[in-house]
Amino acid sequence: MNAAGTRTGRRRSAFALSGIAALAAVTGLAACTSGSGASSSAPAAAGSPGASASASPSASVTVEAGANCSGSSAVKITFWAWVPGLGRAVTAFNQTHPGICVTQEDVGAGDPEYVAITNALKAGSGAPDVAEVEYDELPSFIITKSVDNLVPYGANAYKSDFVPWAWSEVSQGPAVYAIPGDAGPMAFYYNSALLAKYHITPPATWAQFAADAATLHSDDPSAYLTNFAAVDLQWIMSLMAQDNAWPFTYTGGSTVTINWTGAKQMAFAQYWQNMLSAHELNSTTDVSSAAFADMDKGIDASWLSSAWGPSYFLPDAKSSLGDWRATALPQWTAGGDVAANWGGSAYPVFAKSQHPQQAAEFAEWLNATTASWNITKTAPSLLFPTYVPLLNDPAYKDLNNPLSGTSDPNVAFTGAASNISADEWPPFMTEALNEASTVFAGVSNGTQTLQKAFTSFQSVLVSYAKAQGFTVNT
Amino acid sequence: MRSSWLHRRDRRGVWFVAPFLLGFLLFMVVPLGYAVYTSLYTYKIIGGTSFTGASNYTQTLESWTFWSGVVRVVVFGAIQIPVMLAIAFFFACVFDLGVAKYGTFFRTVFFIPFAVPAVVGAVMWSFLLEPQFGPFTRLANALGFANTDFFGPTLLLPVIIVIVIWEWTGYNMMILYTALKSVPRDMVEAAIIDGAPLWRIILRIKLPMVRPAIVMLIFLNTVGALQLFTEPQILESFQQGAVSLNYTPSYYIWNTAIAADQTNLAAAMAVILAVIIVGVSAVSLLARGGGSRRATAKGASLSRAVNRDFSRGGRPPVPRCGPAARATRKADPMARTDVASGPRPRSCPPAIPVHTRRRELA
Repeated sequence: MNAAGTRTGRRRSAFALSGIAALAAVTGLAACTSGSGASSSAPAAAGSPGASASASPSASVTVEAGANCSGSSAVKITFWAWVPGLGRAVTAFNQTHPGICVTQEDVGAGDPEYVAITNALKAGSGAPDVAEVEYDELPSFIITKSVDNLVPYGANAYKSDFVPWAWSEVSQGPAVYAIPGDAGPMAFYYNSALLAKYHITPPATWAQFAADAATLHSDDPSAYLTNFAAVDLQWIMSLMAQDNAWPFTYTGGSTVTINWTGAKQMAFAQYWQNMLSAHELNSTTDVSSAAFADMDKGIDASWLSSAWGPSYFLPDAKSSLGDWRATALPQWTAGGDVAANWGGSAYPVFAKSQHPQQAAEFAEWLNATTASWNITKTAPSLLFPTYVPLLNDPAYKDLNNPLSGTSDPNVAFTGAASNISADEWPPFMTEALNEASTVFAGVSNGTQTLQKAFTSFQSVLVSYAKAQGFTVNT
Repeated sequence: MRSSWLHRRDRRGVWFVAPFLLGFLLFMVVPLGYAVYTSLYTYKIIGGTSFTGASNYTQTLESWTFWSGVVRVVVFGAIQIPVMLAIAFFFACVFDLGVAKYGTFFRTVFFIPFAVPAVVGAVMWSFLLEPQFGPFTRLANALGFANTDFFGPTLLLPVIIVIVIWEWTGYNMMILYTALKSVPRDMVEAAIIDGAPLWRIILRIKLPMVRPAIVMLIFLNTVGALQLFTEPQILESFQQGAVSLNYTPSYYIWNTAIAADQTNLAAAMAVILAVIIVGVSAVSLLARGGGSRRATAKGASLSRAVNRDFSRGGRPPVPRCGPAARATRKADPMARTDVASGPRPRSCPPAIPVHTRRRELA
């Protein structure tokens, strides 16, 4: 089973695969998963989405504590995360830090974890000391003062270890509210055999991309240049960021700018809608078995996805394996070098923690040491770093995976990782994601244009933000 | 001397109801009270929690998003409940008549979908109907219905209706079957002896006699329809965006409370939904009371009706002997018969065992 919903900004797609996990769990197909899940972190991948489907946080996976944890003098730290294999780093930390004992629990990927944290914070007890929180969700915890400023615990010493955009995603003014973890720089994955068949070279600009989409679909009406997953808000927003059409301005506090209907945003919507109206794009839910089947069967010739994308597609890639390559995203301005990020997580310390010093020490070690990254960059975690020493490591740049092509090593992403602009997420992304699945549904089934969806999303978000007491600029 | 407010005997009774009362207080009254209390406040990300009185209620009452979900479940129930009850009644009759071989086995088979947890049932159906690989989708395509999308906006509600019917027909059938079993056998026998056709026995005798059960099932299923949640929620996890946030009131309340973190507003919605359900229940209970009275009256006039139908040809075939006569006397003492009420005339033959006649009927 796929590692649904890990290390990505994608909580909804975790649900998409979760049904399968749920059925497998119920029918006993995953008996081995549930049987061994109590003592090892590896089955977290299959266990957590199942938990999210049944809305039950009880299926938590606890990592065995390190050897030194038997000492009662060690400070106990609770750590919530869903990345598979992260427990290996936790164990390594415990072994090298005798005074601290970190216990990792998996309470679900993304949304289920946030709900559990929010509930625990409301209840006043049971919240973790440290947790994995996606970048887009962090402001929601900052505004409720649920997370600690880590500057008093020496966070600034690590600033130069991280790509600037990642550091600014976890900062507000002088305060630093989390240590950045992984990222999801985007790339243009393409089926080289298929593009060659239609005499298409990987488009360098979006204008070329649109022209190629038309060419390919007219050559073969059953095939598409790529898939456009309209309900995948974070994916759309990543592409908007690359187009300098980011729809929010937020730097903390009670004022937020929401702008889905500006000229840039509408032009972006228009660009994609033109192709959608001409039926030149496929419209399957992204990161789903259906989408992967389309890619493997040659229905979709390319995939606008992230560094973590291949780890999802790989199990489904069969006949097309070996044909896939990765290259930089098409550019809005010819000769440009603008990248985009899709997903990734940071590691805040919660304000209710009894031991913020030790919790911060763990968060810093986990994300800002080569010792930790040497573990987490490998399978099954396969995290893509925001940690500069690793990004600059020639050995990491040469790392391959079968879907980015043997001739195009990781360098496509390590380059992209530093050309990303920081996204300003509003402190209500859960609600935005929630509404998006309904607002954008009509775009997928062709009953609504992307422009219309942007317009109604604007009004939904503005009224929500106003109801929540924000000063809203549009 | 102060008279105690409870007799000694009644105080003993208190101990018997105490466990229930405690549970009722803890798990019904307190949460309900807390929901109402919560609904009077509003939490804002900026500004925190403050007392806002009825504003959550007015917001809900004015919210077309909420009411469109209510309308949808009403439409859902208006289609699903009659169809399901018709199927359930049909099969209950088949089993009740004993015309099917291996009745017990098939009753169990029909009941199995109800024993399957709703989540598993919905997951199963989602796999069957999945737009890309689902066997039903492929079948539809093979039959010439190209691009069939069972999760699309037009087919989604019918799909949910089918899933719910699949899940609940067995349960409803069992209740109707049990109710049919309690229909006095001699009344049916009377009709059989009078030569009433099968469909008339079912529609004119059995159906009216189980009317209270049907009214109860309509009530239970209506409440269930208003609370529809599991199936849409599972389908959404298979096809993101297929099910809108406000698809059903319960789903909308859940989304408002969990995803949007607006527990106060969700509490107000829940209270309003509860009021709607209580209203439906009250109407149903009134209908049920009236219904059972009518059913009794109707049952009493049954044999009259049956007899009347046979009287067209001439002399009313008034049963003189056997269970038919007894039934006529019992069910309709006012019916004019040539047989004086009282003991059975000595000339009557011994009663035929029921199973013999059952076979004749089959």
